Amino acid sequence: MKTLLNLSVAALILAGGAFLYADDDEHEEHERHASNFIAKPMTKQEKTTVALYQKECGACHFAYQPEFLPKSSWDKTMKSLNNHFGTDATLDPAEHKTIQNYLATHASKYDRMTGMGGEIAIRISETPNFKQEHREIPKKMVTQAEVKSFANCSACHTKSASGSYREREIRIPNYGSWE
Amino acid sequence: MKYLALALLFSTSLMAASPEVVQYMNELSKTAKVENSSFDGFDAARGKEIFTSTHTGKQGKPMACTSCHSTNLSSSGKNTLTGKVIDPLSPRANPQRLTSAKEVKKWLKRNFMDVYAREGSAQEKGDVLTYIMKN
Repeated sequence: MKTLLNLSVAALILAGGAFLYADDDEHEEHERHASNFIAKPMTKQEKTTVALYQKECGACHFAYQPEFLPKSSWDKTMKSLNNHFGTDATLDPAEHKTIQNYLATHASKYDRMTGMGGEIAIRISETPNFKQEHREIPKKMVTQAEVKSFANCSACHTKSASGSYREREIRIPNYGSWE
Repeated sequence: MKYLALALLFSTSLMAASPEVVQYMNELSKTAKVENSSFDGFDAARGKEIFTSTHTGKQGKPMACTSCHSTNLSSSGKNTLTGKVIDPLSPRANPQRLTSAKEVKKWLKRNFMDVYAREGSAQEKGDVLTYIMKN
């Protein structure tokens, strides 16, 4: 039974982070996410969709787990792919629709933008929760060549590709663990 | 026999691209002829100029294809904005390149916009593809 449970957790992590591990000291956040995942393996079609998302969006940047932003943010992003942070990231119509649906389905159920004065965030790093989590990180650790910006999750979060952001998995380039 | 030799020559020169990409280039060639009556085939040297020259890009800043892809098509490049590694463009170094017409069309559209702030013409696209195939 334990093996079965482990397997389904692994499948969920592969789903692109339906379950995001929060820092070990933040059980509240941890449980909030835990409460909104459904323990069933991905269908073949879902796997294809995740692969498409990772291929298309991950070609230029880290393929952020959709759970980091609410649907309104993803909709805003998907409407402006012709000028996506200054680059043309347009997709063919069918793939655009598939990815938009994937993001909408897996988006955060929480607003995540409280305190932003009604602004709809398109950068995860603009959201109050992100800022709170990263407030102690010195700027030079983020701007160094190996990281470049807060957009590059995997530069420090070694398991981020599988949706895990535990504090003990952090390795900051030219610095090391974050204790 | 002569035709066979010709066909062989033709296929050898285009070996660096898959049949669907070759077909796409044939379509580009037809369009280029319509758009420019003096068009006389794609040219790798023109493609190199398109690929390596600097222009005012979509962000209003100087930009070249080589800003991300580097000047050596056989080596990896790096997205200047995100730092993400880009696999080599040369089909010799990276057999996945020039295998899907859909991928080729998508990236030519996007990257002409990024570097030239406009879409490329059929001739320009064909010239760049020819340059990539020969490197």
